[in-house]
Amino acid sequence: MPYDPGKDVVEVMRHPPRSAAASTYRIFGETLRGMKTTLARVVEGPLTIQYPEEKTPVYPRFRGRHKLHRFETGDPDNPGLEKCVGCSLCAAACPADCIRVVAAENTPEHRVSAGERYAAVYEINLSRCIFCGYCEVACPFDAITMGHDYEMSDYTRSDLIFTKEMLLAEPLERTPLRTAAE
Amino acid sequence: MSALSDYRRREESITMSSEPVGMGETHELLTLNIGPHHPATHGVLRLIATLEGEVVRDIKPIIGYVHTGIEKTAEQKSYWKAIPVVERMDYLSYYFNAMAYCGAVETLLGIEVPPRAQYLRIIHLELNRIMSHLVWLGTSALDLGAMSMFWYCFRERETILDLFEMSSGQRMHTRYFQVGGVIEDIPAGFARNVQRFIDEMPSRADQYADLLEKNEILLSRLRDTCVLDEQTLLGWGVTGPLLRAAGNPWDLRKAAPYSSYDHFDFRIPVGTVGDNYDRFRVRHAELYESTKIIQQALNGLPEGPHIVEDRKVALPPRHELATSMESLIHHFKLVTEGFRVPEGECYYPIESPRGELGCFVRADGSAKPARVHMRDPSFVNLQATAPMVKDAYIADLIATLAMVDPVLGGVDR
Ligand code: SF4
Ligand code: SF4
Repeated sequence: MPYDPGKDVVEVMRHPPRSAAASTYRIFGETLRGMKTTLARVVEGPLTIQYPEEKTPVYPRFRGRHKLHRFETGDPDNPGLEKCVGCSLCAAACPADCIRVVAAENTPEHRVSAGERYAAVYEINLSRCIFCGYCEVACPFDAITMGHDYEMSDYTRSDLIFTKEMLLAEPLERTPLRTAAE
Repeated sequence: MSALSDYRRREESITMSSEPVGMGETHELLTLNIGPHHPATHGVLRLIATLEGEVVRDIKPIIGYVHTGIEKTAEQKSYWKAIPVVERMDYLSYYFNAMAYCGAVETLLGIEVPPRAQYLRIIHLELNRIMSHLVWLGTSALDLGAMSMFWYCFRERETILDLFEMSSGQRMHTRYFQVGGVIEDIPAGFARNVQRFIDEMPSRADQYADLLEKNEILLSRLRDTCVLDEQTLLGWGVTGPLLRAAGNPWDLRKAAPYSSYDHFDFRIPVGTVGDNYDRFRVRHAELYESTKIIQQALNGLPEGPHIVEDRKVALPPRHELATSMESLIHHFKLVTEGFRVPEGECYYPIESPRGELGCFVRADGSAKPARVHMRDPSFVNLQATAPMVKDAYIADLIATLAMVDPVLGGVDR
């Protein structure tokens, strides 16, 4: 069947005809009309955000710097067990191959996580991470989530390799969050 | 001949000398290098222009500066892990890249995407089309000397990126589309925010038109410049707004509807002669048409699942992981190995903001694609620049390049 869009086609306007009079008019008239459009925008007020002082709030789904989680105990001296059991599913899901997990067995004397094993080494190379959030999707225990921090620049590449301690620590509360109603 | 030496040979065949080329004593041709870093090339594109005075006699686009090997990388990843990778090709139309790729894989798997997912996809695709056209309009107007257009366009673009952030968590490269649907349903309040945006967008587009369409400077820059007729464009394989500006109403959303585009009532803006002014008007008119499609998709958004129920393809819902062993096994299997796709190959074309974006996927029965190839419209359209700007002024070369709207991430891949 040949393709015939029929009446769905609409021709766009051609340019106005060339003539010396019309173009003299346009040089003044249309320029003034353009000025009117821009000046009318003045009343709308500025939209600029003064970035380092003011931060753009992010939406709840925003994927920023990762966070590893513990079970809540509510007691600062006795932090809860880590949720991560070192299963490496996040590392398997990562398209950028930037997660490194080395698991070790929990022992009765040295219990780190709730499961049989725990992550002895957990590193994310944030300079390779593409913030796709697949690690968060993959983790069956909600041990890793994407936080809301987006200011992660640093001076050396090696500082961007985040270790387990850095990921477990509460990030400095820096990024404001938008409510769903905004 | 090896690929490298072939490349070297071609590079050496480019004559960079400004020696007169048999032009007698009063005339000589000047070879001018533009780019790779030049604001007017809209990316990392290098042009070698041969000029006679102010007139362009020939240009050679030299590409490859942002070659990333994404197609090859995708072969090393399981199917779902390739989605965020292919999204990064044409960085202004990431939803389209993901759509073409997911569409191809879905065709190979033979799965039917639920209607709600199709509508959600359309909302995001059309928002993405507006966003891409806004970047094009802003930067092109900047090339032509209209500074304020750039701010206005980026203001609206910001609103769209906020919407993307709200629904998918990221402003660019969102990996929102997954094989079989979309990864999450839209959050509460998203529909209202989209509605607010599409209520505002037509009046914004009117303002752009007020500023530009009859402006004498813009008219004299765009009117009747760099015309290329329909047959030549077809010969070069050009698609999208460039072809439509020459009067050919070829739009894959109508010609071969995918993802239920046939449910919507929209029109195809076409130009008449195919000069730069038509190219500008066609894209500008598409802003309105996309708004209309989003409005219809929002009104008719069906209820239902946002991704296929097939546990062999789509991840089980999160709450099931704690209660159902079977779901946990499926989850484990999908995350580590991914799903297998039966042997076969598929080409899935869609209409991106720049033309026909096709994704070719060949599956060999394993969990990784054997080949992923993108037919990127910028790459094909860029070739038509040389015939367009032949015997035009060098200032028109800049305007034409802006109207061709190549995205170099897509050209080089
Ligand atoms: S966000 Fe994506 S790229 Fe980054 S660590 Fe997680 S899975 Fe890897
Ligand atoms: S973060 Fe989650 S997925 Fe990654 S190793 Fe720990 S438990 Fe497994």
